[in-house]
This record gives sequence, C-alpha cells and structure tokens, in this order.
Amino acid sequence: MEIQLKLYGSSKILSDKDILNIQLPNNSDIKKLRDILAKIISEKYSKSDLKSLPKTAAFFSEKDEVINDSYKLRNKEFISIIPPIGGG
Amino acid sequence: MTLHTALVKIEDEKISSEKAKQFIASEKNGAESIFIGRVRNQNSGKKVAAVTYDAHDQAVLKSFQSICSTAKIKFDKNAKIFLEHAKGYAPVGEISILIAVGSVHREEAFKICRHILEEVKHQSPIWKKEHYVDGKEEWLPGHSLRPKKEVK
Repeated sequence: MEIQLKLYGSSKILSDKDILNIQLPNNSDIKKLRDILAKIISEKYSKSDLKSLPKTAAFFSEKDEVINDSYKLRNKEFISIIPPIGGG
Repeated sequence: MTLHTALVKIEDEKISSEKAKQFIASEKNGAESIFIGRVRNQNSGKKVAAVTYDAHDQAVLKSFQSICSTAKIKFDKNAKIFLEHAKGYAPVGEISILIAVGSVHREEAFKICRHILEEVKHQSPIWKKEHYVDGKEEWLPGHSLRPKKEVK
C-alpha cells in the first residue's frame, strides 16, 4: 500500500515536493512507517541532520490530531510528519 | 471580541504593533503587556541573514486558540489577547512573533504574555530554518510532540 506524507520543517529535505509518497506493506502502522523512514534516511540522507527524525517526529492525522505508534494506516491515507517544533 | 490570533505570511504583510495596541485597548484594563520577538543577526556563533518559518497552518491556529483560551481561564477571563506569528522568509530585524495582552492588572498581563510565549514554543507546530550570511542554511532543532511514553 501507499501513503502520502505531508512534509514540514526539516523533513522537507526528504523531497523537492511538499508531499512524499511512501510504499508500505499492507496493514502497516506508524511504527512501521518510522522503520521505513529510518531506512530511507540511512540509505539516502546519512550525511544530513535527519538521523534522529524517525524517533523524534510525531505524526498528525488528516484531522490534525497526533496519532500514536499503533495507529493502523490505510491505503492512500494522507498524514503529516511533525518534526520537533520551535517557533517564537 | 477579546481574542485575535493569526499566522502572517510575512512576504505579503507585516506584523504590526500598532494594530496589536489598538486591538487590546480598553478602558476596563489598567495594564498592557507586549512581547515582540524579532529575527536576530546571530545564533550559536553563526551570522544569520534571515529565517524561514514553516508551519502546519490549521494545527497552529488551533493551538493558538487553545493556548490563549487557557491563559484567559487561568489568569484573567476578561483579558484581551492579540497573537500573531510570522510564516515564510523573514530577514534580520523582522518581527517573528507579537503577543499583546490587555488586562485589569500588570501581574496578569505579564503572566499571560509569558504563558502564551512558552506554550507556543512547546505546542504550536512551527519550524525555523536559518539562512546564514555565508550562504549555508539549517533547520533548527526543537521540541518533540511525540508522546513521551513512546520515546525510549
């Protein structure tokens, strides 16, 4: 299955576009998504500052609510990655 | 209306302290507290030219409303609050955040202002990318919104 990941902050390094399509096994959850992201980063962005991102990022559902690691993703689902924040 | 919150696309519009002062003005209030945050020209020994602010717009606006409403309940339910934060490319000197509070007494005005600033930093999904004078750029580290029990 495939999900659409809206990129914010430092995660924008992962793509020239605002949305990254990610292939996942069926019935994947957020924990699996973290694992896939860690693999992508170690393979393609090992020299960047993104190494800790899969561990520190939160994820928002389409309703802008934090979703936890056991949340089951649906095919074509649109979610947002929320790297550590720091406004002000 | 006692509450105004907004994300301001800084390339199109400036954050205005005059607008904030007008919004919080009231004969019922004896104190006004205003905090202005600006893009500064250095950070950790690096010369900064500008900062790009990225934001999850809907979640930021939701958090602003929640933070300000909580502050009113906690300190002064009749306080007038103005909160704006920049989004986009902001050169050195530009206002990044403006918090203005009108309250009955100074103590509540100061407390509300401080409370909002700290909570925005810890709740509102906003990110900073610094652009340096030497042409390099860097996303700054921040505060994780991931539930603490999940982070090992």
